Amino acid sequence: MADRLGWIDRRRLLQLLGVTGGALAANLPSRVFAQARKNTLVLGIDISDTITLDPARLAQYTSPMTVSAAYDSLVTMKPGDYINLSPSLATKWARTPDGKGWRFTLREGVKFSTGNPMTVEDVKWSFDRIINLGDQPSQYIANVDRVEIVDKSTIDIILKQPAEPLLTIIAAPEFVVLERKVAEANGASAAKDAKTADKAAQWINTNSCGTGAYRIAAWERNQQIQLVRNEHYWGGKPPFERIVIRHISDGAAQLLAVRRGDIDAAFNLIPEQIASLKGDANVRLAPLASLDFVYMALTQEPEFNKALAVKEARQAIGYAIDYDGIIKSMLGGAALRPAHFLPIGVSGSTEEIARQIGFKQDLARAKDLLAKAGFKDGFEFEISYGNAAVQGVTYQDLGLKIQSDLARVGIKVNLRPLDQVNLRTEYTTGKSKGGVLTFWNPPAVENQLWAAAVVQRVAKRVHWTTPEDIVKLVSQAATEADPKKQAELWVEWQKQAVDQANHFVLFQPVYQIAVRNTVKDFPLTAAGWMLDLHDVTPSAS
Amino acid sequence: MPQYILSRLVLLFVMALLATLVIFLLANMVPGDPVLAQLGDLAASNKEFVAEWRAKWGLDLPLWQRYLIFLQQLSHGDLGISIASQRPVLQDVRDFAPATLELASVSFALSLIVGIPLGIMAAVRRDSWIDHLARLISLIGVSSPTFWLAFILLAVFYGGLQIAPGPGRIDSIGLPPPSVTGLYLLDSALAGDWATFRDAAAHLVLPSIVLAAATLGLITRTTRASMLECMQQDYVRVARAKGLRSRRIVIGHILPNALIPIVTLGGLAYANLLTGAVLTETIFSWPGLGRYTFRSAVSLDFPAIMGITLIVAVVYLIINLVIDVSYALLDPRVVR
Repeated sequence: MADRLGWIDRRRLLQLLGVTGGALAANLPSRVFAQARKNTLVLGIDISDTITLDPARLAQYTSPMTVSAAYDSLVTMKPGDYINLSPSLATKWARTPDGKGWRFTLREGVKFSTGNPMTVEDVKWSFDRIINLGDQPSQYIANVDRVEIVDKSTIDIILKQPAEPLLTIIAAPEFVVLERKVAEANGASAAKDAKTADKAAQWINTNSCGTGAYRIAAWERNQQIQLVRNEHYWGGKPPFERIVIRHISDGAAQLLAVRRGDIDAAFNLIPEQIASLKGDANVRLAPLASLDFVYMALTQEPEFNKALAVKEARQAIGYAIDYDGIIKSMLGGAALRPAHFLPIGVSGSTEEIARQIGFKQDLARAKDLLAKAGFKDGFEFEISYGNAAVQGVTYQDLGLKIQSDLARVGIKVNLRPLDQVNLRTEYTTGKSKGGVLTFWNPPAVENQLWAAAVVQRVAKRVHWTTPEDIVKLVSQAATEADPKKQAELWVEWQKQAVDQANHFVLFQPVYQIAVRNTVKDFPLTAAGWMLDLHDVTPSAS
Repeated sequence: MPQYILSRLVLLFVMALLATLVIFLLANMVPGDPVLAQLGDLAASNKEFVAEWRAKWGLDLPLWQRYLIFLQQLSHGDLGISIASQRPVLQDVRDFAPATLELASVSFALSLIVGIPLGIMAAVRRDSWIDHLARLISLIGVSSPTFWLAFILLAVFYGGLQIAPGPGRIDSIGLPPPSVTGLYLLDSALAGDWATFRDAAAHLVLPSIVLAAATLGLITRTTRASMLECMQQDYVRVARAKGLRSRRIVIGHILPNALIPIVTLGGLAYANLLTGAVLTETIFSWPGLGRYTFRSAVSLDFPAIMGITLIVAVVYLIINLVIDVSYALLDPRVVR
């Protein structure tokens, strides 16, 4: 019967099936873009976290890179130096004569991307807007009392607590200068009622009005951000006509794209993908040191766990974890580990210091401590974690590693996977009944932000009633003017925090960014905005 | 007929509302706090700040009151503000839906255009090489995991052979066409921008194959089975006895009857394609609704979850309605 009904011949069938293949072949990506590509920098990165490009509302991880390309702050940090500040829109800064704040001298001849000159009014207005909008960035400068214009090139920022740090915080891309006239014309407000009066979010998300090397030209959510050259940039002509920050969520797809040259840099590769790039002559690996870290917080609430309430028992955990194993075998060595909450690279935290005062695996000592704590045969506790990964290492794998490490001294770990929302809710409200594996990157490079977190909010989460001394030590260190003494105080603070043993920093990632050789300078920074886009340059050829 | 459609529309409305109620209750049984998930560490520890944010989304109100507010907003065509993106949910949907609609429609067309003829031929030439090939194709389509297929196709055609474009809707330095519908193919055609049209079409090839794979397999198999069943019927024998040509028998007598189950399957498959593209969208960096839905769900973004549920429910219900109506048209016995 099949033969009798043969109304279609073999050739037609193949034609039909060939439609798909034909479509594939007929639409070969044309090379019409080749010329445009030469003047364009394309970055491949997962930017799904970007929900705003408004500096005064910034709170995400990847958006600061874009914002720092379009806007400038008064002071900044050069890649590799996270202790000393560099001039940006301000050329000089010093304490105000009365000592209550800081006085900034503005750079001369700075123009916005519209070509209009930057004025002190723009600076004051920008700070007022952050404060009055009351969004997350306002929290970081809660210590700012007011901003005062002194003359046409001088401005004062007056503080509530004059000794508390300011400069390191305002180097972050939240605290940048906007062109008041343009912003206001598009709905922005810096008035007291800015919270409700400011309607600029929509405009500011797809445009920019800053002094930065590039100007935001478009943002299509979960697709790409387009930046174009600012012809009026005060730092000289920016080398690229256009920068495309391309959203590619999948690391494997980023790898293919950077290999092929569709993107100039890939930001989210995991160790295995990075290893596969070795030997590719067109692509190099650039280390992006970060000031982020993954840590385990441990409750000391006796009602939750009797053993964890004993300091020696917690210290035993600290001495039982195989930190080197985590870094070497799970991260391929691409990570650092500070002693406590001050990442390597900031004042008082170096690899040398971390080796001296931090925990390291010492099973004999762990067993001694367990005996001392009264748990000779070990104890049991749970570790909660979310379904996420840092640098390609999942919290699940980290949990398994810690579980097997602690089993060697008789401590039994129950792993408890949770979704991120529940984990965060439990943790921030102090309801975690054991350990929590999590991640932190601070909004700005200021030791106080990390240290205060430990003795204030994180302490509450782990039910640690912090002694007066250590709280005092934080403010003493943060307000110390002499850098050498300040570093010593931070070391002392870390020692005390390590001794308490309720936070164990597991690793501080050094992300590996794959960069094509079409790009010459690619200044990655740990300061919070990942890349100094204004200083990226193309190769000569 | 109009009465039939009207009664179905009323039912649709009630069902859609019920769906939102169920989802609202389910989402609220999860103990996490969406506001804490959105805030930075410092802000999340500031009680006043958290309270202010919770109030902003009405999270401090009793459950029933929140649902009433949702209904009230809904009656004004407002789906509320997303906690994660801080924009109106409707605006988010408007931004992300076209990408999914375009991808799902192309995939759907692909699975029909390939699946139905393949199924017909597999039935007509049962146990021939075509039948085996069809079986192989549908087996691969149905059984290969989406993420695997997606990655293999990318690695082979984009990374290896370099004949297909990479992830995304258009070339990394290309600009999208001026937005009219948000469907790049349509928009670029409207603008007469054929370079972008070709670029967008090329970018659709791999993801639509991946997304179509499972549906294609299903449609091929169902078409084959349904054809075979119809081929056994008496009217086919009669037609053959009358001396009709094979081609006329297949197209004029068997196919119309065999297609009825395909209509049901196809409708549901289309709804599935529209709502089930999360993995494909992730691997191909496709800025669609699937990713948005996933992110809303994992961050407990209530307004977004509610909005999307409502939209998905309505889409399903409308497609069901279309199926029922076309049933009625295809088979007059249904309305009687």
